[in-house]
Amino acid sequence: MRILIDTLAYTNRLRWLPPEQKLIFASTLLIIAAFAHPFVQVLIAVWMSIWTVIYAGIPPKTYIKLVYVATLFWLTSLPALALNGVDTSHLHLVSRDSIGGLTFGSYYIYISHKGLEQGLTILTRVIASVSCLYFVMLTIPFTEILRILNRIGFPVLLTELLLLMYRFIFVLLNTSAELWTAQQSRGGYRTFTLGMKSLALLIGQLFKRTLENYRQVSLSLAARGFNGELRFWHPHRYQQSRRYAIEAILGCVVLIGLELITDIGI
Amino acid sequence: MQQYLLEFEQVHYKYSGAQQSALNGLTLRIPSHKRCALIGQNGCGKTTLFLLANGLYKPHKGTIRLQGKALQYDHSFLTKLRQKVGLIFQDPEQQLVASTVEEDISYGLCNLRLPEAEIKQRVEQALVEFGLTELATRPVHHLSLGQKKRVSIADVMVLQPELLLLDEPTAYLDRLHTRNLMATLKKIHAAGTTILMATHDLDLVYRWADWIFVMDQGQLMLEGKPQDVFTQRDLLEELQLGVPLIYEMLFTEGSAEEGAVLERVRQRILNLFRYF
Repeated sequence: MRILIDTLAYTNRLRWLPPEQKLIFASTLLIIAAFAHPFVQVLIAVWMSIWTVIYAGIPPKTYIKLVYVATLFWLTSLPALALNGVDTSHLHLVSRDSIGGLTFGSYYIYISHKGLEQGLTILTRVIASVSCLYFVMLTIPFTEILRILNRIGFPVLLTELLLLMYRFIFVLLNTSAELWTAQQSRGGYRTFTLGMKSLALLIGQLFKRTLENYRQVSLSLAARGFNGELRFWHPHRYQQSRRYAIEAILGCVVLIGLELITDIGI
Repeated sequence: MQQYLLEFEQVHYKYSGAQQSALNGLTLRIPSHKRCALIGQNGCGKTTLFLLANGLYKPHKGTIRLQGKALQYDHSFLTKLRQKVGLIFQDPEQQLVASTVEEDISYGLCNLRLPEAEIKQRVEQALVEFGLTELATRPVHHLSLGQKKRVSIADVMVLQPELLLLDEPTAYLDRLHTRNLMATLKKIHAAGTTILMATHDLDLVYRWADWIFVMDQGQLMLEGKPQDVFTQRDLLEELQLGVPLIYEMLFTEGSAEEGAVLERVRQRILNLFRYF
């Protein structure tokens, strides 16, 4: 079973750019987005999306769906920001801020103008940061990210664990899909209670199979000479692209420049 | 040149919690440079034999010898053993651990601490030999079962073992991939590797093996060349194994005067029917 994001990471058009460069690029923009004004943040979001959708060739529908999920989170926190409540005695203090409100007994609940403004600034920051992160997720395969982490000094034990977990997510998905199909074909999910029971059986089986799988994998690793470390050889087949490098550097410089100008201007 | 590559002498092994021994005084000698097949019912101890041969488990009684020398279970000997004796498991899914195909193939070589240039050269050679060049950078979970099987074989063959142990290699494979597998094994054997295959496919065994071992309940019942082993039909029926279809067809009783003619026809068909 294939996870869409993972497949895209291996088959996009920017796959063969050196992953360190892509990571540095995205991190730089992420840092800029954290401190910049909303105008610059929007520019970052748009530029990153161009990189992801047009240069890397990620299908626009997928990208929009992913961004939509992130903005959904923002939407759920908007009420907390925008809605405010005060005691009716303090009504005069907030009359300028409130756009509209209702009185409930001795409390006045209203939509705050400031709150909405705050919400909007958060929105721009969200889409800027999320577009940087999606660029990393969708154009750099996970294992290459792990290699880079190894090189910058991340503990080897953690990266080995992550590598194995990554590989076995797919085995887990496959096995649970098979078990689920087997149960479905025998009417395991006809009603809700039946479905719950079948699900319990499925999860129990997955545990058992995981242990069995673990035993087999350790035997196969040992049979090929496992000596405590998981090491692989990696051919460096990356192709640097001057055109992308120049665009990336120029873009960052322009954005930093804009940010400084708006700083000075305001 | 050693006559027997790997020898088991009166080997006993019992899984903890099991009622019976998996291997019950097994004495088996694998001749060098031959294509051997191991047949037996499910549960007769074939997989246990392979696991012991690779030093993954230690026998409770008895000795195992590699090229005349008894196995020792210290780290350096086991490393050498696992380079000389390659074991390919039945389920390829459980053998693949790395992210891409070429990384997985390089795993065994990295464990041997070979220099990087040699690893690169051997991996590329293995990719070409097993027809995996277009798949080299593909992640392992994007491969089909036949491709995973090929990768798991390449994984072990890249270590250039002298003895190759295969546990039911044709399970899960269709005809095309079975044929490809047999072609690969032919190349491997021509290069000097001894092969021992555990399988249920008697027709394949007949057509391919030079030497057959028949196991039952942890012991070696019968061994010999295919023509000799399969003439012992009664014993094989008792062991619930049977004989290949071609034997069933050719060895039914005929009348006396047909005897000589039938014998010649049999020999001709049996010879034609062999793989290579």
